[in-house]
Amino acid sequence: MFGMDELVQVLVSFCGTLGFGILFNHRGKKLLFGALGGMLAWVIFLLLGLVIEDEVIRYFIVSTLVSVYAEILARIIKTPTTTFCIVSLVPLIPGSGLYYSMAYALEGSMESFLARAAYTLELTAALSMGIVLVTAIMRGFKMIVHNRRARRA
Amino acid sequence: MTEKLLICIMEISQQMIEVGAEIYRIEESVTRICKAYGAVRVDVFATTSNVIVSAEKPDGTVLTQTRRITGSGTDIEKLHRLNDLVRTVTATTPDCATIREKLAEIEKTKKYPAILYILFNAVIAASFCIFFGGRDYKEIIASFVIGFLIGIVSLVLERRSLNKILSRFACSFVSAMSAFVLLRLGVIESVDNVIIGNIMSLIPGIGLTNSLRDLFTGDIITGALRSIEAILLALAIAFGYILSAFIFGGVA
Repeated sequence: MFGMDELVQVLVSFCGTLGFGILFNHRGKKLLFGALGGMLAWVIFLLLGLVIEDEVIRYFIVSTLVSVYAEILARIIKTPTTTFCIVSLVPLIPGSGLYYSMAYALEGSMESFLARAAYTLELTAALSMGIVLVTAIMRGFKMIVHNRRARRA
Repeated sequence: MTEKLLICIMEISQQMIEVGAEIYRIEESVTRICKAYGAVRVDVFATTSNVIVSAEKPDGTVLTQTRRITGSGTDIEKLHRLNDLVRTVTATTPDCATIREKLAEIEKTKKYPAILYILFNAVIAASFCIFFGGRDYKEIIASFVIGFLIGIVSLVLERRSLNKILSRFACSFVSAMSAFVLLRLGVIESVDNVIIGNIMSLIPGIGLTNSLRDLFTGDIITGALRSIEAILLALAIAFGYILSAFIFGGVA
């Protein structure tokens, strides 16, 4: 269940995402909601861990949900979706995957390197698929609305 | 629709690309603005390194302009304001001088001061050091200090406008080097989480996911350009780490 460790993770995921917001020049509401999105992403990830063991599937679900969050907020605040997409998914970036792949490559343990690198790629693919899915659906939806309006006019 | 007006529109599109807008948004924005000014047909082709716009006027003449784009970065506040500008221009079709004025205003968009940039680089490093399992306070402090250092290095390199890939290489090298030196001095017991924390702000993770988004939604050229860039950046980070591990890490 949830303990101290998870609580700390959630807190630092907020701080880390906030940091990225500063680097990308997010201001005001955008900074706050971007960082909250990052925290939300990790909370969902941890909660899903109670039901689903597979990290790759969890990555996919979280990235889909966070992309939906980004799309909705972008419409409320009237700003491009990129604003939230580039910060709120930061806690999901498999930084440790990249590091340990490099470390194994350096040690010369080929098997561990390949396993770790492949797993990192899987996570990245799952992350991207979630974003792509939501983007594709949103654009399709937009096009339908646009065509209907054009037909009426 | 005049040549001069198209110059203004090109300026908007160039700036949007430079602050990191999605390509589809740029193509859509330019098309909308041109149509608002009475163009009967608009063709836009944009990538991260150029824009080509052709607009056909009702009298049958065609205006075409291109721009070569070299800079790229991410400035969300500027993007937000440019996006607003596109919205107002489409709705009110102001004259050239007004658009120029607005662009000059956007040019002055504030950035966070350098010290804040550097400080939050350190915060990112420390946060992700903890996030990935670093619980030793010495490691967390080391990560914070190195993050601070990397913030300074990356800012200096950016001001000197050094090539992005070389600058990532340098940052990765410096962060791994500092971590190994601290390990040798006996300040920290393991470099793993310290380096991971610092890698997080260098890693092109979001660049990669966004490039895949471009790729799968039809902007194949831009998607390919951006994903190749992301892969090169990841390799640069790996080389920086490996080189400093060879020199300072005592890995034979």
